[in-house]
Amino acid sequence: MIRVEGIHKYFGTLHVLRGISLNVAKGEAVVVIGPSGSGKSTLLRCINLLVEPDEGRVFIEDTQVNRPEVRREWVREQVGMVFQSFNLFTHLTAMQNVMLGLTQVKGIPKDEAAAKARQLLARVGLAVKENSYPAELSGGQQQRVAIARALAMDPKAMLFDEPTSALDPEYIREVLDVMTALAREGMTMIVVTHEMGFASNVASRILFVDAGVVIEEGTPEEVFHHPKQERTRSFVGKILR
Amino acid sequence: MVLKEVCDALVPQTAPFSFMIETKAAGHGDRPGPTERHRVRLVTRTTALRGAEVAAGVVFTLLFFQEFLQFSLFDPYLWAIYGPIFLAGLNGTVRYILLVIPISVVLGFFLGWARISRHRTLVWPVTMFIDFFRGMPPLILVIFAFLFGDNLIPQAIKDRLLSGIPLRVVSVTAAALAIAFHSAAYQAEIFRAGFQSVPKGQLEAAQALGMRSWQAMRFVVLPQTFRLSLPPLGNELAVVIKDTSLLAAVAGGEIVSRSQNFAGTLSIFGYPVEWLFAIWTAVAIAYFVATFSVTRILLVLERRFHTPGLEAVSI
Amino acid sequence: MAKRVPWDRETRWRRLDTLLAAVIVLGVLAYMYELMVGSRGLDPVYIAANYGLYVTAVTVNLYMTTVAYAVGMTAGFFLGWLRTIRSVPIKKVVHDFRAFADTSSRSKFVLSGALGLTVAWAGLKYLVRRLGDAYVEIIRGTPLFVQILFAWSILVVNFPGLFTNPTSVAFSAGLLALTANTAGYQAEIFRAGLQTVHSGQVEAARALGFSRLGAMRHIVLPQALRLIVPPLTNEYIGLFKASTLVFILGVQTEITFVANRNAFAGHIFEIFAIVTAIFLLITVVLAKVIQALESRFRIPGLGIQQTRAERPRARPLRLPEAPTP
Repeated sequence: MIRVEGIHKYFGTLHVLRGISLNVAKGEAVVVIGPSGSGKSTLLRCINLLVEPDEGRVFIEDTQVNRPEVRREWVREQVGMVFQSFNLFTHLTAMQNVMLGLTQVKGIPKDEAAAKARQLLARVGLAVKENSYPAELSGGQQQRVAIARALAMDPKAMLFDEPTSALDPEYIREVLDVMTALAREGMTMIVVTHEMGFASNVASRILFVDAGVVIEEGTPEEVFHHPKQERTRSFVGKILR
Repeated sequence: MVLKEVCDALVPQTAPFSFMIETKAAGHGDRPGPTERHRVRLVTRTTALRGAEVAAGVVFTLLFFQEFLQFSLFDPYLWAIYGPIFLAGLNGTVRYILLVIPISVVLGFFLGWARISRHRTLVWPVTMFIDFFRGMPPLILVIFAFLFGDNLIPQAIKDRLLSGIPLRVVSVTAAALAIAFHSAAYQAEIFRAGFQSVPKGQLEAAQALGMRSWQAMRFVVLPQTFRLSLPPLGNELAVVIKDTSLLAAVAGGEIVSRSQNFAGTLSIFGYPVEWLFAIWTAVAIAYFVATFSVTRILLVLERRFHTPGLEAVSI
Repeated sequence: MAKRVPWDRETRWRRLDTLLAAVIVLGVLAYMYELMVGSRGLDPVYIAANYGLYVTAVTVNLYMTTVAYAVGMTAGFFLGWLRTIRSVPIKKVVHDFRAFADTSSRSKFVLSGALGLTVAWAGLKYLVRRLGDAYVEIIRGTPLFVQILFAWSILVVNFPGLFTNPTSVAFSAGLLALTANTAGYQAEIFRAGLQTVHSGQVEAARALGFSRLGAMRHIVLPQALRLIVPPLTNEYIGLFKASTLVFILGVQTEITFVANRNAFAGHIFEIFAIVTAIFLLITVVLAKVIQALESRFRIPGLGIQQTRAERPRARPLRLPEAPTP
């Protein structure tokens, strides 16, 4: 459903993405791992076009979207994103955060939007916190609101950029639980993470990306326990405890 | 033991947490100096009780002064004569304030926004404007705006819009506008800091939700910018109120110039010289009340729009 | 892999942008020049002949500023320090008195005397604090113009015989007002500097064995002195700009007065050009000097203007991915 072909991206003279290709089928959960600076976040951002690729093509449901004629806002409605630093709107309550996209982007009337927001917050387990401001929530709770906010747009796929990296250890579980449930329900997901447990449980495929290229691709079993490439081996060795 | 008490008393009271300090340390006149970039820090709220204490202190000092300098603020004879002049001056000052403040806020907002634009076409001219109006003393700006403000208006506009208006009015208005621009330059820095204090990630998140730039601006960035900018803005507005006194240098018909005229005539008419003190004290009280109320009103506004997590305040 | 810098629309747009910006800036300057000076052209003869006049006038301003600043600094320091005095809570007064009463078997007379003294002492501290507050609030709440005129009134009415000619009255009044004014603002700066040093450090010092006064001397003061340098220097620049206000008293050697008087004789634009040049030059030079001094003496992380604390991270921050534009 999401297809990326031969993406190149330069930041100045820095060649961040060097011809990456990726294919994610509907309902698949793909996890991307790799060292810092390997271009994983940039890759994600090329999919929902927060970053424009210099070369290559991005397809969502067989439509090429990185053409100038395609409205970027439309693309981002199709694909939701969850960020490492949550990026909740600090001046709005949890409820209002989730509702904002519904009322302003989709044009849904307030009561409908409120009902839907309530439902989503309940789904991520935060029904009681709907009137709290982000500053009053723990990191795990904030990230779950962020997930609800992204889900509110009814996206066809979700992108997760290191969703648990900024969390205190005791909050990681609750966020991963929400993501696992989401995957089981059949949401197409691309997750950049270092949580190997989650990856082993949920991912149908793991991609190891280093220095802007896909080094290895395979099932969690293959990549974690029988890596074929040397670089994969050394990286996995460092992070698997 | 007494000595220990005294020594103890001399040691400053530091706060348990640095965010409980209310600091307005900045450049002269409560404005940031040229080397200060607006930063962001936390501040505590002054309670209503403290406000009352301060007011009480001021009143007490006033009474003390009256005794010391041998004048009476409440002399009915004085007010019979000076009263109308005082009121006329107040009227003038209020009208200038109402002219200058909206212009400076709106201009300052857009200047601040433009200052951090990606387009150098906006940034360079705006920076030039800001640096010039911050670097010049306001009095110089007032005087020279008065002297050739008239020349700066293109002839065409003068003929069409301003034909009936006497030169003096145009010049004084130009002087008032100079004050507005001077303040706008400082407010541009305040708003700029407000904009830059909104974390960029939130803008990204808004985009990721599919919001267009103007939507992200209106619903995410601007509400937070305003909340963050309110406290230093209150400070700046108080300074603008005081700056209107500069119009006395060009006989602007506000309270200081009228009082000055009156004070000049005291000896001619044989009024007691102590009236000088009463006059200037009255004028000082008028300004004090104005600045005090403005800062209090903004404090109330600030509290009304307060959201937890947005307690950052810039100098 | 070959290095590649794409000559894309991005770079071209940047260059166009810069060009346009330069054009606009120059264009505005040219337009202003045209509007103000027009075909007459700036009279270089006048400028060459008279700029000395303005430079000397500005030195008068600098002189006044420096004197007022120095005196104001001493007054401001003590005032600021005064304002950091603890106001004693009632409970402590009562508690102390009780302790005193318990340990001694003095007569009622002595005890009530002691109570009276404690209350008086606490009351004195309170009064002193409030007076300090009042002074600073008054200075900050009233315009400098009014303060100058008030100072002049005081001198004229209460000390009529003290000054021989009106110029020295004007000069002294201006100095008095400027000093009082800067004392008020500097008091705030000193107060903030003394209070911003984290009290946790004082606690740590005392745990190490320092007395309160010793902690003050070795821990608080060195940091406070670093903290207050930026605002104090900016205060100097601000005071310099404010010193132009003494013109209203007719201090005839002060720059605004000189400029104003000569402006009415003609050559307004030349005068404006000279005055602008002088002020911008001084402000820019002073600002650069201050910045150099600040960067030399600053302690990273120490400043009255603190940055907002980032959310503390439980795990070490991972190195960011390639920057997203």
